[in-house]
Amino acid sequence: MLHVDRLTKSLPDGRVLLNGISFTVSRGEFVGILGASGAGKSLTLRCILGLTKADAGSARLVEPDGRSFELTSCTGRNQREARRRMGVIFQGFNLVKRLRVLDNVMIGRLAQIHPLRSWLYGFTDAEAEEAVQALRQVKMETYADRVTGSLSGGEMQRVAIARAIFQRPSLFLADEPIAALDPSNSLAIMKLLQPLSRTTPVLGVFHQPEMTARFCTRVIAIKRGAVVYDGAPGLSHAELEEIYGDELMQVLRPTPPAAPPAGSEPGPAVGLLLPNHPS
Amino acid sequence: MSAALSIPTATARADRARRAWRIVLAATLMGALVVGSAILCRVDVVGFLPGLFQGLSVLRFFFPPDVGSLAEMVGPALVTLLLAAVATPFGVALSILFGLAGAANLSPAWLRAPARGVIAVERALPEIVVLLLLVAALGVGPFPGVVTLAIGSVGMLGRLFADAIEEIDARVIESVACVGASRWQVVRYAVLPEVMPSFLANAIFRFEINLRASVLLGAVGAGGIGLELQKAMALLEYERAMMAVLVTLALVFGAERISDFLRRRVLEKGGLR
Repeated sequence: MLHVDRLTKSLPDGRVLLNGISFTVSRGEFVGILGASGAGKSLTLRCILGLTKADAGSARLVEPDGRSFELTSCTGRNQREARRRMGVIFQGFNLVKRLRVLDNVMIGRLAQIHPLRSWLYGFTDAEAEEAVQALRQVKMETYADRVTGSLSGGEMQRVAIARAIFQRPSLFLADEPIAALDPSNSLAIMKLLQPLSRTTPVLGVFHQPEMTARFCTRVIAIKRGAVVYDGAPGLSHAELEEIYGDELMQVLRPTPPAAPPAGSEPGPAVGLLLPNHPS
Repeated sequence: MSAALSIPTATARADRARRAWRIVLAATLMGALVVGSAILCRVDVVGFLPGLFQGLSVLRFFFPPDVGSLAEMVGPALVTLLLAAVATPFGVALSILFGLAGAANLSPAWLRAPARGVIAVERALPEIVVLLLLVAALGVGPFPGVVTLAIGSVGMLGRLFADAIEEIDARVIESVACVGASRWQVVRYAVLPEVMPSFLANAIFRFEINLRASVLLGAVGAGGIGLELQKAMALLEYERAMMAVLVTLALVFGAERISDFLRRRVLEKGGLR
C-alpha cells in the first residue's frame, strides 16, 4: 500500500509545483494519474521515488508484512531498501543500451544480492532462469542475448517491464510508459501492466484518458499541483475539460494529424507569425 | 518560399564585408606573430639552407647501419616496450579512479574539484619534467620511468574518462539507482558498460603514446633503446645510432599497427565483457 500525504514542492522562485497531493494506492488497484502537461504528475512520482526532494508532506510504502518505509525522508541504505520494493518503468525506457537484454533484466535485482556477487556478474542459474521467465511474460525471451540498444521503443519498454517484474517489487510505478510509443505498442504495454496489478498495485502517469478508462481501476487527476479528481476511471467529457483545459483536444487525439497530401501548398510558418509567440 | 527567407540585400552586403575584414585582420595578426617570433628567436633563414646541406652530408656517416649491433639492441628495445606495457595499465587504473572522482554526475563537489585539479595540473606538466623530478627522488632507472608514464596517462585518460561519464544519459543512471542499487553498482552496471569501449580504445592509444614517450624518457635516464641511442651518439658511433633508430622505428610502427587493430576491434565489438 502506498500512502501519499500532502506532498508539497515549490521552486526557489516561489512557484508552487505540488500543492498538497494526497492519495492512497491499495492492493489490486491499477491507478492512473491524468493531468495537463506541467500539472505535477511526473513530479509526484519523482517525489515518491526520492529522486526529487519534496518540501513537505510524506509518502509511505507499507509492505504486505507490515514493514513500512518513509519514502520522502529516507536516505542512503534505507532509501535503497525502499527503492528495491518499487519497480519503475520510465517513459524513455532508460535501459543500459550496451548491455544485453538479459543483463538489463538482471539489474532489477541488484539490490537483493550481495554487492561482491553483483560486481562479478555473479547471478545464479536460477536467477537467470527467472529473468528469462520475466522476459517470457512480456514475450521477449527470444531477445535475451541481443544488445539492448538495437531494440525498438516498444521492445525496450517490454524489457523495462520485465526488469521491474524481475525486481519482485511490492508496487509498480510507471512514468508515462506509453507516451513515446505508437498506438498498437501502447495498447500492448497496457495489456501487460493490467494483469500485474492483480497481485501488485500499479501506479502510472498517463496522457490518454481513453487508455486509463479502459484499463485502470481508478483515476486520479492532478491540476496545478493538486488532486482535482479521484474515483472511477471513466471520466465525462466535462470532467476531462475541467482537468485539461485548452489541452483537451490534443489529449483526445493522440495520433498526430495526417500529413498534407503530396503536391499541396506547404502551410505558412504559423508559429513565427502568431502575435503571442514567446519570442 | 525564397522571398520569405531572403535577407535584405544591404544587410547581407554589410555582413559579407564584415566577415572579409575579420579574415584579413586574423591573417595579419597571425603573420605579425610569426615574423615577430622569428626575429626574436634569431631564426636565420639565409644560413639555414647551407646548414641543411651540411647536415645531409653528415648523414652519410650513419650508413650503413651497424647490423652487427642488432643483437645488443633487442634487450634495450624490450625494456622500452616493457616500460610502456607496465606503465599503461597502472595509468589506466589511476585514470579510472580519477575519472570517476572527476565526473560531475557521480561524485560530490568536494571530491570532484580536487580530482579535476590533479588531472589538469598533470596534463600541464611535460613528462620530462616529471621524470627529472622523480629521478632526483628515486634515482636513475626504469622505475621512475614507469611512474612517470603512469602518472602521465592520468592527465589524458582521466580527463577523457570523466568527460565520457558526464555524457551518459542521466536518466539511465537514475533508473539503475531506482532499483535500489548502490553507487558502486550503478558504476558497474550503468557507467562502465556505457563508457568502456571508448575508454579501452583511448587506453590502447595511450599505450602507443607511452611507447614513444618511453623512448624519449630512456635517453633522460629511464634506460632502454633511448639510452642506447644517446650513448651511441655521444660516442660518435653513428652507424650504431642508426641501428637504434631503425629498431625504434620498427618497435613504434609495429605497436601502432597492433594498437590500430585492437582499437578498431574494441570499438566495433562494443568492448570486452
